[in-house]
Parts: sequence; structure tokens; C-alpha cells
Amino acid sequence: MLFWIVATLLTLMACLSVLVPFLRRPAAVGVMTSPDLAIYKDQLAEVERDLSRGLIGRGEAEQARSEIGRRILRASERAGGATVQRPLWGRAVTAAAVLSIPLVSWSVYAATGSPGEPAQPLQARLQESPGNLPVEDLIARAEAHLRTDPSDSRGWEVLAPIYLRVGRTDDAVRAYREAIDRLGSSGIRQSGLGEALIAQAGGTVTAEAREAFEQGLQAAPGDGKALFFLALAAAQEGDVAGAQAQWQALKADQPAGSPWSEAANQALARIAQPGRGPGAQDVQDAAALSSAERSTMIEGMVATLDAKLRDNPRDPEGWQKLVRSYAVLGRQDEAREALRRGMSALGETTRDAAALQDFARSINVLASVQP
Amino acid sequence: MTRKQKRLGVIAGGLAFLGLAMGLTFYALGQRTSYFYMPTDLATQAVPPGQRIRLGGLVEKGTVVRGQGTEVSFAVTDETRSVPVVFAGILPDLFREEQGVVTEGSFRSDGIFMADSVLAKHDETYMPKEVADGLKAQGLWQEN
Amino acid sequence: MIEAGHFALVLALALALVQSTVPIVGSRINDARMMAVAAPVALVSFALIALAFLALTWAYVTSDFSVVNVWENSHSQKPMLFKITGTWGNHEGSMLLWVLILALFSALVAVFGRNLPDQLKATVLAVQGWIAAAFLLFILVTSNPFARLVPAPFEGQDLNPILQDVGLAVHPPLLYLGYVGFSVSFSFAVAALIEKRIDAAWARWVRPWTLAAWIFLTGGIAMGSYWAYYELGWGGFWFWDPVENASFMPWLSGTALLHSALVMEKRSALKIWTVLLAILTFSLSLLGTFLVRSGVLTSVHAFATDPTRGVFILGILTLLVGGALALFAWRAHALTAGGIFQPISREGSLVLNNLFLTTATATVLIGTLYPLLMEALTGDKISVGAPFFNLTFGSLMVPLLIAVPFGPLLAWKRGDLYAAAQRLAWALGGAILVALLIMLFVDRTMLFAALSIGLAAWLMLGAATDLVLRSGVGSQPWSVVRRRLWGLPRSAKGTALAHFGLGVTVVGIVATVAFQTERIVIMKPGDTIDFAGRQLRFERVEPFAGPNYTEDQARFTLISGNRDVGTLVAAKRLYTARQMPTTEAGILTRGFSQAYVALGDPSGDGSWVVRAWWKPMVTLIWLGPCLMMAGGLLSISDRRLRVGAPARRRSQPVPAAAE
Repeated sequence: MLFWIVATLLTLMACLSVLVPFLRRPAAVGVMTSPDLAIYKDQLAEVERDLSRGLIGRGEAEQARSEIGRRILRASERAGGATVQRPLWGRAVTAAAVLSIPLVSWSVYAATGSPGEPAQPLQARLQESPGNLPVEDLIARAEAHLRTDPSDSRGWEVLAPIYLRVGRTDDAVRAYREAIDRLGSSGIRQSGLGEALIAQAGGTVTAEAREAFEQGLQAAPGDGKALFFLALAAAQEGDVAGAQAQWQALKADQPAGSPWSEAANQALARIAQPGRGPGAQDVQDAAALSSAERSTMIEGMVATLDAKLRDNPRDPEGWQKLVRSYAVLGRQDEAREALRRGMSALGETTRDAAALQDFARSINVLASVQP
Repeated sequence: MTRKQKRLGVIAGGLAFLGLAMGLTFYALGQRTSYFYMPTDLATQAVPPGQRIRLGGLVEKGTVVRGQGTEVSFAVTDETRSVPVVFAGILPDLFREEQGVVTEGSFRSDGIFMADSVLAKHDETYMPKEVADGLKAQGLWQEN
Repeated sequence: MIEAGHFALVLALALALVQSTVPIVGSRINDARMMAVAAPVALVSFALIALAFLALTWAYVTSDFSVVNVWENSHSQKPMLFKITGTWGNHEGSMLLWVLILALFSALVAVFGRNLPDQLKATVLAVQGWIAAAFLLFILVTSNPFARLVPAPFEGQDLNPILQDVGLAVHPPLLYLGYVGFSVSFSFAVAALIEKRIDAAWARWVRPWTLAAWIFLTGGIAMGSYWAYYELGWGGFWFWDPVENASFMPWLSGTALLHSALVMEKRSALKIWTVLLAILTFSLSLLGTFLVRSGVLTSVHAFATDPTRGVFILGILTLLVGGALALFAWRAHALTAGGIFQPISREGSLVLNNLFLTTATATVLIGTLYPLLMEALTGDKISVGAPFFNLTFGSLMVPLLIAVPFGPLLAWKRGDLYAAAQRLAWALGGAILVALLIMLFVDRTMLFAALSIGLAAWLMLGAATDLVLRSGVGSQPWSVVRRRLWGLPRSAKGTALAHFGLGVTVVGIVATVAFQTERIVIMKPGDTIDFAGRQLRFERVEPFAGPNYTEDQARFTLISGNRDVGTLVAAKRLYTARQMPTTEAGILTRGFSQAYVALGDPSGDGSWVVRAWWKPMVTLIWLGPCLMMAGGLLSISDRRLRVGAPARRRSQPVPAAAE
């Protein structure tokens, strides 16, 4: 609203600047006395002044005077009486000019401006309520805060799992490490670090991750997450029996229906699947296990991506990834659904949406949906 | 001398002066300019030792050797051919392996290019224009 | 606030369109009220563009990343000064500064032009309006600084670290004040052609405006040179880089214009030539803007390149320059020729000055455009660098510099070369003495350098001659001399000061180029090297963290005659946001000379490549332009209107010493 008031006032001011001369009474226009004459008179006076102050010699002054005299003569020959004639269309030009100011400015601004956008000073944005900001912005705010005050150890702890959730695994690992450095080791932090390291390694439980889980267990014995992933580590190394035993123990330890006992259940079910399961001892089966693991990983990643896009839908690349992932998993309906959601999130007519549609067509996901 | 003769004299003097200045300019253009080459160009066009040229390309990976005093040696490549370069002095801030570079100097008789100036890009987004064009011509560089 | 600025800019375009039509129509049909529109419109346009500029600056100061321009060129951690200067440290912002200054000059013409003839004032402001309209359209269509980014990111991409320096606060505004200041002379020239007449007011106006623009441009170029000298870490002060040339060409032709405008003001001669020179000078400013902004040249100055911008500016260039030159060809004969003069006279010497300066401009122009032309025609990529310019430009400058001291000593209309030479005899003697002293005591092998410094001494002594003679030093008691010196016209003192400054610059350039000592060595902390009769001790390296960078600072001590005379701090700096390293030179000024140390790469075992220079008299290179600017200011403050009256032939050896 304020913008419109300012814009109107500015337009008025601009129009007035053109109109001002017309509001005055017409000055004595007509035959102008040659302004040159005034200048030459000034020059003559100047010569007299210099002469009286002794800055120039008498001879010089005389010559200067005669030079000026010649110029005055020439100037007065030129200055003829110019007749004044003002055609009416001059008025028309002026009227058009005044009208053109709002016309030009408002139409050009309509094409280039974004009148609805308020100014967004960084300081104010950092203080505004988090409300319904997309995840990316929340992270950026936290980062900006941590940069100005890196000693705020809690900040790292809060940020770390969020990084992990949006798939920024490197940052997640870094944030967990910062938190551990500043706040000391704890079960949650260590197992979080372990999880981040696994994500960073693309699903493999690395030695580093295992160490993190083991330290976590020292701080908090019986931590479900640590126990689950240590069992997974055993499975990935081919120790299927050990893994099964650990998962069984985890199930027994955790209350029924808790997330980690649930996860252990699923892992046990997968591991027991004949043919694909890791019950067999040879290497091939181990490879099959990891491929099964991998497909669960993919499912998990797709779900994360999906959730992330719900939070932060303005991500054309993310939508393409999601559509492709569903297509690869063979879930055509969901792929189509993702395409529809993506297009409406990006805005049906935008270039991003068109690109998404082209991309989907290229992998045979057809949008049969009308908005 | 009449006024007309005087005026003609002045005009003739001015023209002679201009002619002299132009002659000097074009002489200097012929003598004091250096041509730009990419390593591949040097395979087809021989450049005699001692002639000043500018050589551009990418700094080949793993060829930068410092040490011998303040001398640095490296190779400039366009992925087809590479040319050994020796330079004494301080390398520019953004001189890095696999980054664009333009060197100016001349060949020694043993085929090593002695550079007396090395220009790297000014910031992380700028690739020396000649190098970018040269690489584009060989299809090794795409604008994103 | 942002959008208000954006709207103000659009509104300024609308007003510029009005300013470029209504007053000129009014002047054609002799309607005083239509002509009177020009002044208030010019003032309001300036206010609107200033508002837009403030809005953009505000966006930078508050790190408003919802503005694309701010996001691309700023960072929340940047020090406040660089947030502000960052406003014009990029293409869009610098173009906005360009039009802001253009509007400022139009507003100044509107305010100070009360005593101008109505028609001339209206036409001049209309021509200013054409330029403003063209560039405002350019900004809004191709480089809008107010484009928005939604949702706004929380961090920007930071400004190119090379530009994060106090130099950016001063160099571009000064340079633009110079560039754009010439638009006033251009508009006056075009107006004269449209009106088909050049009256006394015209002449009286053009010189001070040209002088003002020239003062700023001198400052801008000198500042840019010093900035490149200490920031780039190569120790060079002038690279004949195309972008430097782009600012140097308007300076050269602007200097020529300054001198020919002098002839016009005092003697009403050289009218047509002055008009042409005014058009050419601003055309070269526009050409400079085109070369830098179009991305035809790659350089530190080419912030971003975009072909549509190049085409757009080329269009403006063709339209304005082509239009003005066509108008000149069509109308020039309608201008009456002015007073006549002998070849040997003040006018004659100024014509000589113009001949040399315009030819020098032409050689720089050829050297700058030749590579572009060659590439377009033959595809060959060549570089025209310092050797070319030193040869051509240098050989043109020597005779010009020799001639400079004669000019002010010759009388108007009909001068006496022999008498002038007599008066300059002591300056010649002094110059020869200086050259001999340099040969004997500094370096016997460098004849050319000694002669060049002798030439500089000739310039300085010759510049002083005029004042010395006119004030009667030596023949009059000191009190009379002082009174006379005080009473001398400021323009004469200004001329002497500016010519003296030119000599000072020549001393600095020659001494630095010929006598500097450079050493490239590998040093460990604790090492000491000898150079230029002094020692340099490498003390230590320590890390340091700035607001948005980290650096390794190396401390050196300069020792002269077993005494520590000062500390130099050189650094390798890393700007964290762009992960971009820069070299910060350590500089220590001793008298007019400087020690300059740049740090190379560390070699792992704690030793560093160190490049150290001793640059004798180097500060004179920039002190000279300061004197020239001071001379210009003195001259501009001289509001006297005296005509240049011819001296009687061979009558008074000391014309000003009359009682």
C-alpha cells in the first residue's frame, strides 16, 4: 500500500515539474536582447578593474577594449528582431508530454517491477518468526546465526539432523562433529554421527561409523539406533548369523512397536528371504543382500526426497529426480502423481514446469492429468 | 607570402605530420605485436625461437614443478598437445592446475617456452578469452 | 523501498523522454514556457535517479538478498564500506551511477545556467535528455539492478575480492564524473550545431565544464593507476590495458579540448574545431563505456558479459556519435569562423598542442581497436601491448613536452618565438644541468633516462618561468613580487601548476622505469637481502583473520644504514566466500620513493618466494596528477572574463611587468 502512495506522489511530482513553467504567467518573451552583449559589457568592466589595479598595462587595456568593441559591433549586427510566433501544436506536444509521464512510467514498471515484493533486509528476516518458511531457508537462517556466533554449540546439535534429513550429508557429519567437540560425546550425538557417516558413504557402515556407534553405546548402553546399525555392519561384512543374533537381541531389548524393533523386524524378514536372503553363505548372496539393502535405501531416499519436496516445493531438479526415482522403481502411478504435483508446485506455465514435463516424457512417464 | 600560401603551408605541414605519425603507428603495429597461439597451433605453424608470442591453454595436471630457485616449470596443454614452459617470478594468485592461463615470451632453441609473464584468470568465473575461444574451437569447453 | 527506487528509475525514463522533446520543440517555435520546462524536469530527474540509487545502496547496506544484484555481488559478512561501494562494483550498479552522474550534470546546467540564453539552455538540456533516455532504457531493458529474487536466499555470492578495497570507493565515481562530465561539452556542441550559432556565452560555458570533467577524469585515472599498483601486486602502475586506454583516450582528447576551448573563450577562434573536439571527446567516453560494458574486452573491469548489452550500447553509440557527427558535417559550415592569428602565437602553440594530442589519441585508439579488428577480419588473435604504445605514444609526447613551456610565453594573435626562447634560456640551462647530474651521480649508462629527466626538469622550470617573469622575481623587492604573484590571474597560476605537475609525473615515470631495483628471491623468516643500497629483513609469518578473509601476513623490516626504518606487511589473503586468493603488497614510503614487497608461494619448508622492488620517486607519478588537478581547480575558480588581447609586436619583453 505504502508503495502505491509513494509511486503516486512521485508521478505527481514528475508531472508537476513539466507543468510548473505553464502555471507561471508568461514572462516577457519576444525579442531577446542578445545575452552576448551582457557578457561583453562584463568583459569591459573587467578590463577597467584590472587597469586600475595595475594588473595590465595601459596599452594592453586599450587593445582589449578595441577587441571587445569589435565583438560588440559584430554581435549587434547579428541581433535582429526575431518575430515570435507560437503555433498551437506546441501546446499539444506539451499536453502529450505530461500525459506520457504516467503512461510510460506505469506501463514500463508494470512490465519490469514487482510491486508486491517488500524490501527484505537480512537482519529483519533473521528475526522474523519461522512460521511457514521452507526448510532450506530455516537451515540458512541457522547457518547465518552460527556464523555470527560459532560458539553456540546447541545450534550445531539442532542443525545436524536437519542436514541429514535434507540429504546434505557432508554438512551433517561436520555439524555432528562440531557438536561432539563442543558439548562432549553422548549417545545421541555419536549415533547421529554414525548415521550421517553411513549416509555419506552411500549406505555402507564404515569403520568410522562403527567406531561412532561403539562410543555412543558406551555413553548410552542399549541405544536402539547404534545397536541396529552395528548389526547391519555385521550383515554387510557377511556375518549373517551374528547380524541375526544382534537384531534378535535388539528386538528383545526394545519395547514392542518401538521404531528400532520394527526396523530390526524388517531387517530380519529381508535377511531370511530364501534365494535373495543372506541365509546363504557365499559371496554372491552377500552381494544380493547388499542389493536388497540398496533397494531399501533407494526407497528410503525417495521417501526423504518426497518429504523434502513437500517442505520446499520450488526445486525443479528435485522434482525431476523424484519422477525418475518412482519410474525406476516401477511405480508408474506414483511417478505420474509426482509429475502432477511437481508441475503444480512449479506453476503450470513456467519454464521449469515445461522442462519437467519434457523430462518426464523422455522417460516415458506421461502426464495424462489436466490441472 | 600571401595568406593563401601560408594556409596551404600549414595544411601541408599538418598532413605531413599526420602521415609521419601514421607511418610510425603502422610500423609499430608490425613490429611490436605478439600473436596468440594454442599448443595445437604450434604443430602446424612453426614459430622461430626468439619471436615473441603469447601461448595459452590449460596448466597440465601434475606438471607444475617449483624449486630451482624462483623458477617454476609447467606445461601448457590444450588436451591435444602440450608445451613445456619455464617462468621465473611470482605466479598469479589464481594459477592452478587444469586452469586457463596465458603466458607471454619466446621459445628457446631447445623448444622450451621461456615466459616472462603469466596471466591467469582474474576470478573464479573468468577464463582468459583467447583460451576459452581456443578450447571451444576444439570442442573441449562448453559454456554453461 | 526497493520498488520505490525501481519506480523512480522508470519515472526518470519518462521524464528524460519529456526533457528530450518539449524544450527543443519549444526552442524551435520560440515558446519560452516550453523551453522553461527543461530546468525543473532536469532537477526532478536527478532527484528521482538519486532516489533509485539510494534505494539500491540501501539494499546493499541491509543485505537485501531479494534483489538479484545484491545477492550476486554482496555478502552479509562484508565490511560496511564495501557493502556501500559494492553498489557500483558491478555492471548494473555502475551503469546506475553513470546515469546518476549524467543527471547530476544536467541538474547543474539547469541550476547554474540561469544566465544562459534560453534557447541554448533548452537545447543543451534536451541533448542531455537524449543521452539520459538512451542509457535509462539500456538499464531497464538489459541490466535492471532492481530485478527481484523470490524466495530470497540468506547469503550472497560476495564481491570480487580485488574490488574489495577503498579504491572502489573513489576510482569509479571520479572516473565517471570525468567521462560523463564531457557530456556537457558534447551537448553544448550539438546545441551549437542545431542553433547554427556559437555566441560568447557558449564559449564562456564550455571551458569551465570541460575543465571540471577533466579534473575528475585526471583524478579518476591517477587513482585507478595507484589502485592497480598496490592491489594487483605486480608493482606496475600502467599496463596499456584496453580498459585503461578507454579512459585515457577521453583524457587526451579532453586535454586537447581544454586548450582549444581556451582559444575559443579568449579569441573566438577555432570554433569549428572545438565543436568537433567536444563531440569526439564524449564519443570516446561512450566508446570506453561500450568497450568495458559490452564484454568485447575481458579484464578486471568487465564484471559480466552479455552480448545483448553490447549490441544495445553499440546502438546508442552509433546513434549519438553518428548523429552528432552527421549534424556536424551538415551544419559546421554554418558556424562563422573566428579571429585570425599568426602561426607563431599563443593560438598557434595551442593548435600544435591539439595536433599532437589528437594524434596521440588516434594512436591509442588504433592500438586498442586493432586486435579486435584483426580478430574480426582474419581470426588472428594478437595483442598490442606496452611496446607498441611506448614507441608510438612516447615519440609523440617528447616533442609535445618540449613545446609545452613555450605556449604560455607567447602572446595572443602574434607571438615572438625568439623572445620566448630567450626567456626560457635559464630553464634550458637548468634542465641540462639536471641531466648531467643524473648522468654523473646516478647512472652513467642511462643516457636516455637522464635526458628524459632533463626534459621533465625543462617542463617544471619552464612552467615556473611564466610566473617568475610576470611577478618580477630578481628585479623587484620581495614585497612587490609577493603582491604581484598574488594579483596574477588564477588561470595563469593554474596553467603553471598543471604544467609543473606534468613534469612531476614525467620524473616519477622515468625514475621508476629506469632506476627501479627488482629482486626475486627465496627467503626464510630471519633472512636478510641487500637491495638498492638497503637491506630487507624477513621477520616472520603469522596468520590473521579479517572480517571475510584469512591471510598469512609476512612482516619485513627495511634497514638503511644499519637503522630500522620501517615495517612492511605483505600478505597472501584468501577470501572465504569465493575461496579466492589475492596478494596484498607491503609498501613503505620513504620520501617520494617506495619499497614494495609481494609475497609468492610458500615452498613447504617455511621459505617463501619474495619479490621486492625499490621504486625511486614512484609517488611522483600520482603526485603529478594531483598538482594538475589543483591547477585545474585554480583555473576553474578564475571567473574573470578578460579577452586575450594581442601584444604589440616586439615591444615589451616582459608584458605583465607594466606599471
